[in-house]
Amino acid sequence: MGLLAVEGLSIGYHTEKGLLHAVEDVSFTVKRGRSLGLVGESGCGKTTLGLAILRLLPENGTILKGRILFDGADLLEKSDEAMRRIRWKEISMIFQAAMNALNPVHRVKDQIAEAILTHEPETPRETVRSRVEALFDQVGIPRSRMGDFPHQYSGGMKQRAVIAMALALRPRLIIADEPTTALDVIVQDQILRQTRRIQEAFDISMIVISHDIAVVAEVCHDIGVLYAGQLVEYGDRESVLQSPMHPYSRMLLGAFLTVGGKPPRVPDNGNDSPDLMDPAPGCRFHDRCPMAEDPCRQTPVASVTVGRTHRVLCRRVA
Amino acid sequence: MADGFKTRKKALSRHGHWIERWKEGWAIYKKNLLGRIGLALLSIFTLMALASFIPPLIDPMYGPMSGVDPAITASTGPSARHWLGTDFMGRDLFSQLLAGARVAFTVGITSAFVSIVLGTLIGMVAGYLGGWTDVFLMRAADLIMVMPTLLVVLILAALFGQLNIWSIILIIALFRWPGVSRVIRAQTLTLKERPFIDAARVAGASHVRIIFRHIMPNVLPLSFLYMTFRVTAAINIEAALAFLGFGDPGTVSWGMMLQWVWKTGHMFKAPYWLLPPGICISLITLAFYLLGRAMDEVLDPRLRKEGERY
Amino acid sequence: MELWRYLWRRFIQIGITFFVILTILFVLFRIAPGDPVTRMIGPEMTTEDAVRLISQLGLDRPLWIQYLYYVRNFFTGNFGYSFHYGQPVIEIIWDRLPNTVLLFTSSVILSAVVGVFLGKIAAWRKGKRSDTLMTLGALVTHTVFLPWMALILIWIFAYRFGWFPINGMISEEIWLDPSAGLWIKALDVFHHMVLPLLTLFLIYFGSYLLIMRSAMLETLKEDYILTARAKGLKEKVIRNHHAAPNAALPVVTSVGLSLAFSINGGALTETVFSWPGIGRELVFSVSNNDYPLAQAAFLLISAVVLVSNLVVDLLYAYLDPRIRY
Repeated sequence: MGLLAVEGLSIGYHTEKGLLHAVEDVSFTVKRGRSLGLVGESGCGKTTLGLAILRLLPENGTILKGRILFDGADLLEKSDEAMRRIRWKEISMIFQAAMNALNPVHRVKDQIAEAILTHEPETPRETVRSRVEALFDQVGIPRSRMGDFPHQYSGGMKQRAVIAMALALRPRLIIADEPTTALDVIVQDQILRQTRRIQEAFDISMIVISHDIAVVAEVCHDIGVLYAGQLVEYGDRESVLQSPMHPYSRMLLGAFLTVGGKPPRVPDNGNDSPDLMDPAPGCRFHDRCPMAEDPCRQTPVASVTVGRTHRVLCRRVA
Repeated sequence: MADGFKTRKKALSRHGHWIERWKEGWAIYKKNLLGRIGLALLSIFTLMALASFIPPLIDPMYGPMSGVDPAITASTGPSARHWLGTDFMGRDLFSQLLAGARVAFTVGITSAFVSIVLGTLIGMVAGYLGGWTDVFLMRAADLIMVMPTLLVVLILAALFGQLNIWSIILIIALFRWPGVSRVIRAQTLTLKERPFIDAARVAGASHVRIIFRHIMPNVLPLSFLYMTFRVTAAINIEAALAFLGFGDPGTVSWGMMLQWVWKTGHMFKAPYWLLPPGICISLITLAFYLLGRAMDEVLDPRLRKEGERY
Repeated sequence: MELWRYLWRRFIQIGITFFVILTILFVLFRIAPGDPVTRMIGPEMTTEDAVRLISQLGLDRPLWIQYLYYVRNFFTGNFGYSFHYGQPVIEIIWDRLPNTVLLFTSSVILSAVVGVFLGKIAAWRKGKRSDTLMTLGALVTHTVFLPWMALILIWIFAYRFGWFPINGMISEEIWLDPSAGLWIKALDVFHHMVLPLLTLFLIYFGSYLLIMRSAMLETLKEDYILTARAKGLKEKVIRNHHAAPNAALPVVTSVGLSLAFSINGGALTETVFSWPGIGRELVFSVSNNDYPLAQAAFLLISAVVLVSNLVVDLLYAYLDPRIRY
């Protein structure tokens, strides 16, 4: 059964030029102990989705419609205080460490201890200490480096520290946003395996957000492909990887399967990204799609179920 | 996605004609209420400076420096004959106030202009040439930055005797370039990495040509912005100097009016004399400051109220 | 260790800076029109005294030896005699220095602390009425002409209401009274200090507020703030423990850069309030053509600015672990 169910979620950003439709009618579920990978190019709304689940959208972002059910209760209806208690305790996040996710003026161990003490304030100091030590052991950072400041760590160590922090409270769901981007390939591989091991060992559900389908293919049970805010394909790993139905997923996979994996070769006709300010009601991929027909643009598309757990958002597939 | 938009729009404005750029900039400036207030204040002061030529034409007794109302021997309050009253010698305060606006603009703009020219040149040269030139120029900038300009002018006044308004302007300018040069240097350093500079170098352009044809047009908006802040500094230093009694005795500045009211012991008796010059100095400073802040917003996209993040 | 290397480097840089200022002043005193000897020898001195002073200052020797004498005299505190006071300059300077340091440091600390605190609040409440009010207030007070602000404050609080003395630093009758204790005296000085301090505070806190506000707004966009939010920290903790310590760094830098600017204001304030400090002494000595005093006062003020710069560097190193480790 689903731990997290996102239903018909649409998210917009208020900008000077008007409302930007960043995410449109997205639905998926994450089951207990399973992991879901969300892939798409930058700006497709994947990070927005991750932030929306924790209700951490920037000031100008708003959830236009939909529900986010966590353990059966809608997170969007929680009070700010209740939501604050859920953050990290129930749902934590692995940020891209290269993006400065650690505060430069505090020691790494203190930043982890802070998470524990915020949600479990009665924990005795020694317990907090030993828990932080155990976390460092788990992610493979020597204990002697616990008292360092973030700038003293290498990129890989920072990423491990961020993972240790995300595990601090044994949450039930972890959202990993580009967990290995900007790391070199060997470190990337170590960290991915570690992530997977921990996830399985502690039976934690995960959402892995990445622009790199290779990452998602390695770690996740289910895969969702996002394009311009729409979830264009969604299903279990095998079905999506072996029989992608949406033209966009095919392009992504084509790039992935070619050796030397170049970024997706999508025909570029000048409109590198569709206009999210005033999107056409139909499929947002139509002007880059090799299979597009006139109605694709104007007629709203409904998702088509092609397998037991496999959905595609394309009228040509139907 | 919005990132894509922004970069495209920026690229457009970089290549676009400068009139386009001005229009775009003005559209952003217009939205800033404080910036509009600053401009309004500045237009009032400009009018005052222009009007300062009129009173002495009406009657020589309205001459700000030498005109004395023969009927008056002590400071008097506002009247129909003297809108703001007179000082202890019977000189008209209103015409002094108008003349002060002219002096403030002269001092502020000339001095700021000279310091901006210096700062821009030094910053571009230091950033472009690098190496020891850069080290030397920036150390010099650091040195000047820790020297209190007002006190430096005082010491020079002690050594070289009474300074006239132009030497004051020049000294202020000579001590006010380091801040600008640091900013321009930083900007030059980033420009130097751009391909178009390389292209120019490969094409055989000389250093001088690269600095003036390729780097300068790109740093000028920034220099222009810093000029507004330098104007306020210059006006304030001149006013402080005049207030302390070291101004040019041949000009009437607002600082000097304040010195007279203070030194002649009228400060508790003659609010009509104490208030206007102080208000004018403060407001003209505020006006240039607001102008600078609003321009900053035009030039620095980070300050705009967007803050989208994905 | 990194920290020591950083501080040592700054120390050397500041030492060199001071030496350059010392040298520039020497050169200026020689190239200025008029006779350098008469600039250092008071008009009312006896020939005997004058001869002794000339040899002490090395004024009868070649220029480069004069320079060496000059440097030595600076470090031994031999600045010659003040024309106006007829007293060794060092005594006057030594007497005024603490007063300047007292007013200068308390004004810088007070305005920086309050400015940073209010800037933090303003940024946190961005766009709300309290933010607009604080930002506008800072803009306006910050741009007021300092001597005028001083005169207005004197007019209102000393003349109209009579709450504070019009000028000076002490009331003679209290200090001559043998029964007055230290506390009474301290209180008396504080009573005199309120208005000068208020003047400097009102002028300078605004710039710190504005800098802190924009630094804070920048910091709030940082990723570690998002991490802090995701961690479920309370808003207050995020603001005070995660954003403010990072935002304070650029403010500390700007405090360092504006010290020279603040000492200008300090000299003006001292003059208006007749506060017996070095700044006022400098202004006076320039009016009186008291060259030895002017020279010494300028050098000491530069030294105060440079030493405070070093203190600011120390504070920065303390606040930013990237420098400490």
